[in-house]
Amino acid sequence: MSVDVAEAEELRRRLHEAEDTLRAIRDGEVDALVVRGPKADQIFHLGDNESYRAFMEAMELGAAALDEQSRLLYANSALCGLLGVTFEALQESGLVQAMGASAGGALAALVRDSAEARATAELALPARGGRRHVLVTAAPLSLGFSTGRALTFTDMTERIDAAAAEESQRVGRAILGSSADAVVVCDARGHITQANPAALGLLEGSPIGRDFDEVFDFAFTPGAGIVTPGDIVAVTLSGGSVRNVEATLPSARGSRDLLISTAPLRYAGGAIGGCIVTLLDLTDRKALEKRQSLLMRELDHRMKNMLTLVASISARTMATSAGLTDFKERFSQRLSALAATQDLLATRAWEDLLLEDLIRSEIAPFVPTASARVGLERLGVRVSREAAVALGLVFHELVTNAVKYGALSVEAGRVLVSATPRADGGLEVVWREEGGPPVEPLSRRGFGQTVISRGLGASAAEPTRMEYRPEGVVCTLTLAPSAVVGA
Amino acid sequence: VNVERNAALADNAAGLKLTLYVAGQTPKSLAAIRNLEAICSEHLGADNYQIDVVDLREAPQLAREHNIVAIPTLVRQLPVPIQKIIGDLSDKQKVLVSLQLDQLP
Repeated sequence: MSVDVAEAEELRRRLHEAEDTLRAIRDGEVDALVVRGPKADQIFHLGDNESYRAFMEAMELGAAALDEQSRLLYANSALCGLLGVTFEALQESGLVQAMGASAGGALAALVRDSAEARATAELALPARGGRRHVLVTAAPLSLGFSTGRALTFTDMTERIDAAAAEESQRVGRAILGSSADAVVVCDARGHITQANPAALGLLEGSPIGRDFDEVFDFAFTPGAGIVTPGDIVAVTLSGGSVRNVEATLPSARGSRDLLISTAPLRYAGGAIGGCIVTLLDLTDRKALEKRQSLLMRELDHRMKNMLTLVASISARTMATSAGLTDFKERFSQRLSALAATQDLLATRAWEDLLLEDLIRSEIAPFVPTASARVGLERLGVRVSREAAVALGLVFHELVTNAVKYGALSVEAGRVLVSATPRADGGLEVVWREEGGPPVEPLSRRGFGQTVISRGLGASAAEPTRMEYRPEGVVCTLTLAPSAVVGA
Repeated sequence: VNVERNAALADNAAGLKLTLYVAGQTPKSLAAIRNLEAICSEHLGADNYQIDVVDLREAPQLAREHNIVAIPTLVRQLPVPIQKIIGDLSDKQKVLVSLQLDQLP
């Protein structure tokens, strides 16, 4: 058989072409073949390996394929990135081994369980930057003559972290809401992002989104070292803090005294993302302290006055006493009169007293005030504390004298006490006795008389008049307008 | 999609006539088109060649004319003799040698 040169050349060319076609197929340089059909030619796509892999590479999920013996065939770059290793390193160590003992064991079990159907498990993987919570799904993967596994890895860490962050935010808001102190949170620009109910109570309208220094127009105590509200935020945003700085906040609801403390708001990693400002409202406490201090000073003053009064009563009672027994009796009675007035004052928190209550308390130890022997008229007038103490002593002396020598010493006698307002705003109080034994002018002036005539002191508008009329004693006391508090 | 393209179908095309057989937009087909365009624009003038791109998925019967088996395949129809290059034409040197573009006038 002879082959001419041209034929040989053609055969060589076709052989070369056939060899080149096979080589191209073997080398993966082609991705489709033309297949002769009985009627028409068809285009047959070779395995979608490339597009499949390109698709896998584009996925954000980690993905891997294992053969029947769980050897790694493929892992996409998302999975390699998640594990922090190269594909080559992963192929060398094996996927299960690269995941450590705990997660690797769980993955091996998942691969076993997914021979027939899809299976899912949550694993904690050792990864760059700490452990990652990953949801792994394994499904059978048909590989020509065997069945491998297709694995996907969904990183749940951020979702879990976000859920935890949301939960902690919820807890934070609950703490803020329950705090009795005003708490305000600012962002890095000094804008208010959160304010609890106590903070809202200090302000008119919502402060959210507004500048801190615009909302809180504090006036600082001189020497606090802080000049403007903006200073507080600036100091805190630069990492410092403010502790117990006193300031007043003028507001439509009245000026408030506040104690300011701040702390930087640090995000994960330590970066300062804002500041937390706590405002302790001292207004009520300060008012209470002020009142307490005033009361203490007042009490001190009254105690001294009282001791002076007691010393004076003691000295004068001693001077006019017939003996020790007489002194003891009269001194005790005068102290009791003083105590009765103090009791009344104490029940009124040391303010003013109703004249009628005062007189009743002095008469009651001797005669029932509801009896016909005592007549009280127009005594529903309040007198000042100072006047009440003085009147208490004066009425004690009047009652004592009436019981010993006057109208109350006999059954038929009676005492009338009445009050009449004066043109100057003061009050005239008249003690009138009747039905008692005939009255004789005093032969000697005792302490009792001194108390009656001078006892009112500064509370008197005019000197007290004591008349010893034969039908009964009449005592006229006049109270200055300052001693009368009101009806 | 018929991706037939004529880069320069001028009558005075200087005798280089190429036909590129592709199958739709498979990765290798798209790569072959890209690579061929790059080689031509780099090594040939704009009006001295003609390229036909034949999508065999649209017209599989056209494969018989040049006995195409694997896709993509580039066929140099002119000048004769006919030459075939199989693959995505990513090996530029091999393409230049096979097409003997360096021997063109």
